[in-house]
Amino acid sequence: MQKLVVIGAGMASGRMLEHLLDAAPDAFEITVFNAEPRGNYNRIMLSPVLSGEKSYAEIVTHDDAWYAANKVTCRFGEKVLSVDPSRKVVVGEKGEVAYDKLVFGTGSSAFIIPCPGHDLPGVVAFRDLEDTTAMVEAAGKPGSKAVVIGGGLLGLEAAAALRLRGMEVTVLHIASHLMERQLDPAAGYLLKKDLEKRGITVLLEASTREIIGNGRAEQVNLADGTELPCDIVVMAVGIRPAVTLAQDSGIPCGRAIKVDAQMRTETPDVFAVGECVEYNGNLFGLVAPLYDQARVLAKTLVGEPETFAMRELSTKLKVTGCDLFSAGDFADAPGREDIVYRDPARGIYKRLVIENDRLIGAVMYGDTADGNWFFGLIKEGGDISEMRETLIFGPSYQGGASADPLSAVAALPPDAEICGCNGVCKGDIVKAIEAGASDLGAIRATTKASASCGTCTGLVEQVLSVTLGDDFVIPAAQPVCGCTDLTHEDVRRLIKTAELKSQEAVWQELGWKTRNGCHVCRPAVNYYLLADWPLDYRDDPQSRFVNERNHANIQKDGTYSVMPRMWGGMTTPEELIAIAEAAKKYDAVVKVTGGQRIDLLGVKKEDLPAIWYDLNEAGMVSGHAYTKGLRTVKTCVGSDWCRFGTQDSTGLGIRLEKKLWGSWTPHKVKLAVSGCPRNCAEATCKDVGIICVDSGYQVGVAGAAGMDVKETERLVDVRTEDEAIEWTTAFIQLYRETARYLDRPYKWVAKVGLDWVKEVLADDAERKALVDRFDVSQSVYQVDPWAERAVPDAARRFQPLADLTVEAAE
Amino acid sequence: MDTVLDAPVKTFIQVTEYWIPEGDRLVLATGNYGGLAAFEEATRAISFGKGEGLPGKAWAEERPVVLKGFDGSYFKRIEAAAEAGLTSAVAVPVFDGDTLRAVLVVLCGDDANRTGAIEVWHEADGLLMLDDGYYGAAKHFEWVSQHTHFPRGQGLPGGVWSAETPMLFRDLGSGYRFIRADSAGKAGLTTGLGLPIPVPGDKTFVLTLLSARGTPIARRFEIWDARPVKVGKDKAAILVDGICEREGALWTDDTQEPPRRIAANQGNVGRVLASGLPEIFAGSPKLTEGYDAMVALPIYDDGAIAHIVAWYV
Repeated sequence: MQKLVVIGAGMASGRMLEHLLDAAPDAFEITVFNAEPRGNYNRIMLSPVLSGEKSYAEIVTHDDAWYAANKVTCRFGEKVLSVDPSRKVVVGEKGEVAYDKLVFGTGSSAFIIPCPGHDLPGVVAFRDLEDTTAMVEAAGKPGSKAVVIGGGLLGLEAAAALRLRGMEVTVLHIASHLMERQLDPAAGYLLKKDLEKRGITVLLEASTREIIGNGRAEQVNLADGTELPCDIVVMAVGIRPAVTLAQDSGIPCGRAIKVDAQMRTETPDVFAVGECVEYNGNLFGLVAPLYDQARVLAKTLVGEPETFAMRELSTKLKVTGCDLFSAGDFADAPGREDIVYRDPARGIYKRLVIENDRLIGAVMYGDTADGNWFFGLIKEGGDISEMRETLIFGPSYQGGASADPLSAVAALPPDAEICGCNGVCKGDIVKAIEAGASDLGAIRATTKASASCGTCTGLVEQVLSVTLGDDFVIPAAQPVCGCTDLTHEDVRRLIKTAELKSQEAVWQELGWKTRNGCHVCRPAVNYYLLADWPLDYRDDPQSRFVNERNHANIQKDGTYSVMPRMWGGMTTPEELIAIAEAAKKYDAVVKVTGGQRIDLLGVKKEDLPAIWYDLNEAGMVSGHAYTKGLRTVKTCVGSDWCRFGTQDSTGLGIRLEKKLWGSWTPHKVKLAVSGCPRNCAEATCKDVGIICVDSGYQVGVAGAAGMDVKETERLVDVRTEDEAIEWTTAFIQLYRETARYLDRPYKWVAKVGLDWVKEVLADDAERKALVDRFDVSQSVYQVDPWAERAVPDAARRFQPLADLTVEAAE
Repeated sequence: MDTVLDAPVKTFIQVTEYWIPEGDRLVLATGNYGGLAAFEEATRAISFGKGEGLPGKAWAEERPVVLKGFDGSYFKRIEAAAEAGLTSAVAVPVFDGDTLRAVLVVLCGDDANRTGAIEVWHEADGLLMLDDGYYGAAKHFEWVSQHTHFPRGQGLPGGVWSAETPMLFRDLGSGYRFIRADSAGKAGLTTGLGLPIPVPGDKTFVLTLLSARGTPIARRFEIWDARPVKVGKDKAAILVDGICEREGALWTDDTQEPPRRIAANQGNVGRVLASGLPEIFAGSPKLTEGYDAMVALPIYDDGAIAHIVAWYV
């Protein structure tokens, strides 16, 4: 009988023993070493043991009786000190044992981030029962806190389990969404939401700087300065194959023990299986391929032919109530198409990735019933073109149901505010409908919902439809784009009502039909989010038009124009010299604009950071001539110089521009201040135009002088400059908050009515609140984009990737 | 499976029955009276209007109701209960949206040696607070529970609340701690089943059954997931968790084998799937995994059965 020694009693080697004993029960005299003082248990079920949803006894795969019945000599709790392949012996702490065949099943160990404090007591990994017990002990202290570093499978399972154990849990994840290797951002968003519903705090893009404590881990400090007091730190950032013993024994290793397709190492009669192996450059962490390896190795050991092959893998998360599934490849790549299905009311997201009429990836959250069917299609690689239309609905569906366009509104709770003007909630509208209101007019009459600015009309109609069914027919409305059935107004209102603070939240909760929008809806949604949640949402440059992304206007020849800001149209000799020098240095054409600015045309993209730097050095900032935002405040010379000037129009223009610059708006905004009714600054065709008069300031709004020409309408007459600035700011903020993207103020005012605008702004408290909200937004967005980009790292973005006009050298 | 003869066990719950609406009354569907024939006879003679008696109260108030001590209460079968030694009861309404499908009632006897817990938790100000509970002899544990609350995600009640699914906790008091673990351990509580109790409106209720080895609420627990998002469009359920005194773990690691799956009308749990009503089976151990009796309770969500919990004793 040959002697077989197995180092490691993990799941892979355990499965290998089962196959081996089935195939040849008397072929080997088997000895198993295990550093842990126990045999093989189902390690991947440690998470429910940690949570208390399983007991350790339930996850034992091989108990003492099994080893005894199979005459396996167990050397558990004994570390292997060395292996001598030349003598064919394994040296354990309690002596050596000879082998004819040796199997390494040493598994993996947790990767510990080598940050300061990583070796403090209280920093644990999540690999074995000892780690689990340590966490359970930590959870026993009332009010205890855990920080879990790593938002992958293991980290999240640990976090959910520790939360069930009663701990305050914070998950730190370095990437921008959870489980980024297995999930796309949409599914990651839903998972985060699900975990937060359990009281778990999730911090994304969180970089751990250090762990500190007096003799044990007491606090995790992040790179951004966040301090997280804790009683235990769980490191779950990944695993490393445990190969030190193999390396020390002279077994050839790469990143792990190198094996061939029969699980043979390069050393005769030495084999390896499980997480400690490297096959064709691949490492392994999920259980399915480990079991394949176990089957192959058992065959190899009994001399039968068998070959290990890589295969597609699927992922599930063992957190009760979190249903997710992913398989295959779902990264962006040319030629790939997505099929997306969302049900906001049920928290369902499904995405299939198709390439060359084959299903190559699937991500599902909330509805995983068809996961295995999709997984089968991925593995088979067959042509799915014939069932493409209904593929997303799974195997049992043939009929082509469409997503429910009312689902976003149906999912809103009764206290969700539908009409912001009059503070009317969904529940109020439903009550009115139940009391007999059956059309928009009746709702307006009974609740005042949609009776003011009217931007919530679409939503009120949807509440009518959800409540009355087919007794109410929603009038046709123009959706934002093909990605959604909702209008701009609906989307704006729902972003506020449902407190949607990220693009992923919008796509999911509003049932977007595409994975992440299109060139039409993304800029709009990006604007709505940053306007409504300036402190929570981070502007997404990828959702902007090219001019806004590059902070310069692209010209017909591919060059850019650069226009420094001149406050109120005023400049100085020093600024003019700097502009002239920059124009010469970068070979720019100089043009004086209609907005009283100097435009430098013909600047190459790669020169942009440099010219910005030069102009910055001269004290100038971007003129934002390219933005959907404040452009210019045009002024006349006013009372300082003009015989007819009634007020300091230039001074007011400068103050206005200094207050408003940098703000993003639905479309561009142009202002002017004229010092007298002669109106030299042409204020009466601006978005906001102020005419100074002896008695004060006439604030006009909603003018236009482009595709449409329209005179401003009088918003208010005020006595002081401060009041003029307050009213102007409040008007612009109201426009920012309620207009649809790409509507200039005159179009917006035509829709909501100037009377409503006046009514809102005439309320002193509301006007002040609008100004306050504008100021909050400016605290984030009033920054000079030139200064941010005229630094080496950012400037690299403006360098051409390759000069395709130059022929390749021979 | 074959019937296994165990030593007779004194159970925590002595009577289980369920009532179904018929017109404006709740009538008895079936019950397991464990040999308390007189009480059974008294029960079969009555029905309840909305608000009447314990089942009627659970119907009218649209919530689970715990009633400890029948004397002078609204309980309708006071004399028969007293003769049978029954002193406390819990009524659990089964709502499908706004529609009452049934009311499950369990009755327990006061006994210094009977330990267990049937608790009703409700949400108030963002926390789950003990609404009421029956604990038998576990007086200290009762006191601890009255002074405990659960945030979302914490402990068995908080876990059920946040996951919106039934959950089964093991080893409540030994080795693996839970919030009230020390006291639970001292009381001998071992296994905890928590289940959401959906009611009309937006109120949140969680029911927990905490079982002790000596006087078990059940010796086998099963949680079946019947949600279409899990089982597809066929009316079916998969066994997602379970534990049995005799068979051990009932769940399967789905990386190795698929979970047990039943279709409507397939076995007792299948009957619940088909009827939409609770089921109580007694007297045929071959049909109840070898145990004397079994209770299966459907939990509705979104207009259909989402989960079925079953317990066997």
